[in-house]
Amino acid sequence: MTVSTGSTSGFRGEVLCGTAWRGRAFTGRSVAVIAPGREAAVIVPEVVRTARQVKVFQEEPDWLLPLPLPLPRVLARPAARLSLRLQVRDPWTRRRLTPDARFNRHRPRVDGRYYAALQEPHCTLISWPVYALVPGGVRSAEGIEHHVDCIILGESAAQREDLCA
Amino acid sequence: MSATTFDFDQMLQTIKDKQWSLADIDWDAPGAETMTDELRAKMQPFMADLVWIEHVGARGFASLAKKAPTPTIKRIYEYFHAEEQKHANAELALMKRWGMLDAEGNPPEPNVNVKLAIKVLDDYGDTIPLTGLATLIPLLECALDGALVKFLLEEVTDPVCHEVFRHINSDEARHITVDFQVLELIGAGPLHKLVIESAALLQPQVIIGLIVVFTPLINKMRDNIVAMGLPEQKLYNAVKRFATIGSRGPHTARIPAYHVLKAQAAMIIDRTSPYHRLLADPMVKLTSFVPAKVLGRPQAWVDELTHEPIAS
Repeated sequence: MTVSTGSTSGFRGEVLCGTAWRGRAFTGRSVAVIAPGREAAVIVPEVVRTARQVKVFQEEPDWLLPLPLPLPRVLARPAARLSLRLQVRDPWTRRRLTPDARFNRHRPRVDGRYYAALQEPHCTLISWPVYALVPGGVRSAEGIEHHVDCIILGESAAQREDLCA
Repeated sequence: MSATTFDFDQMLQTIKDKQWSLADIDWDAPGAETMTDELRAKMQPFMADLVWIEHVGARGFASLAKKAPTPTIKRIYEYFHAEEQKHANAELALMKRWGMLDAEGNPPEPNVNVKLAIKVLDDYGDTIPLTGLATLIPLLECALDGALVKFLLEEVTDPVCHEVFRHINSDEARHITVDFQVLELIGAGPLHKLVIESAALLQPQVIIGLIVVFTPLINKMRDNIVAMGLPEQKLYNAVKRFATIGSRGPHTARIPAYHVLKAQAAMIIDRTSPYHRLLADPMVKLTSFVPAKVLGRPQAWVDELTHEPIAS
């Protein structure tokens, strides 16, 4: 597991890779989290508690279950879908949190706090592809540069050559 | 190049390598003064239409991503979704530069036909079979690229506008390449699959969508830009391009939706066709009576437009 504060990217602020975000306070800072749903679900609820503003760059959603329910495999995804439906009212946000039924092979993960954290007023879900870290922050493919004080790269994002070269 | 040899992975890599940002462009560079009051009044409605057609096109790619035949093509469509959004954002930034937006910089209000298109995409976009949307989108892009953008660049001399559209045109060239390669891939599929997918296109929401939403949307835009001075020859060339690229590959011609849209496009550009008298003109008139209220609130994606290159 990577635990490092990387300075290898083009970003001039702090980059936290892997699990380096744990136990940190982000009081007064704006934070970008770059991670797929299964990892963001762990990171975001913690970061939202202290940060001034959080932008969640979640390119790939995953199914989440609110509780460790003893469900047979065939019922896990419908239960996750129901949980999403009940917790997120906005249809466009829900669509962006729904995994692709054909290509997403990950089993539902147990996490009851992610959807609520995403809907906090100081938290924004961004599903555009991220293509570069620049001195000011994160550039995504809708053409906008998102300025932040700190970037958290989840474990899979920390492996990406285009972000950490 | 046939569908079986086209390297979608290589294309995805190229797309990633060619990303550009609104922040790369100096929006305060000299040249904005070339937009005279007269030209501003003429181009404002055109730019508003252009922003909305890109924004609605972006939503179309979002639906295509849900139907993509492979994970790589899905990823490409996700990038295209974002790139169309980028084009809409950049065009909005140009409108801002030229003083075409209100004091708060709000996007222009879409007309009722655009609102209908948004409503249909919200409600049915994700359920339209792949062959339908995958054929419609390249037609719109040929028209956009071949006629609207050429017209804009002839009318406007602002160097920033030309810089922006160099980026946009380079993106659009990749979009059109992929669009037609996907048609080849679909056309090369087994016959029974083509028949089933094509039959699925005969659902009422698709037919009604084509007649009530697409037909008046395109016709209104067509007449607006011709009235502005776009030569009809340009529209003709754009649709011809759709037919030419489509006939290059051996398999696209097996897709029934391709022939239907090609035929409709031929009627759209010919103003003397009975299509206009009997269908399109009455639909433009009818839809103008639709009160915006009955369409309800659109989904949140319509609020994602921004002219600000940097978000903090």
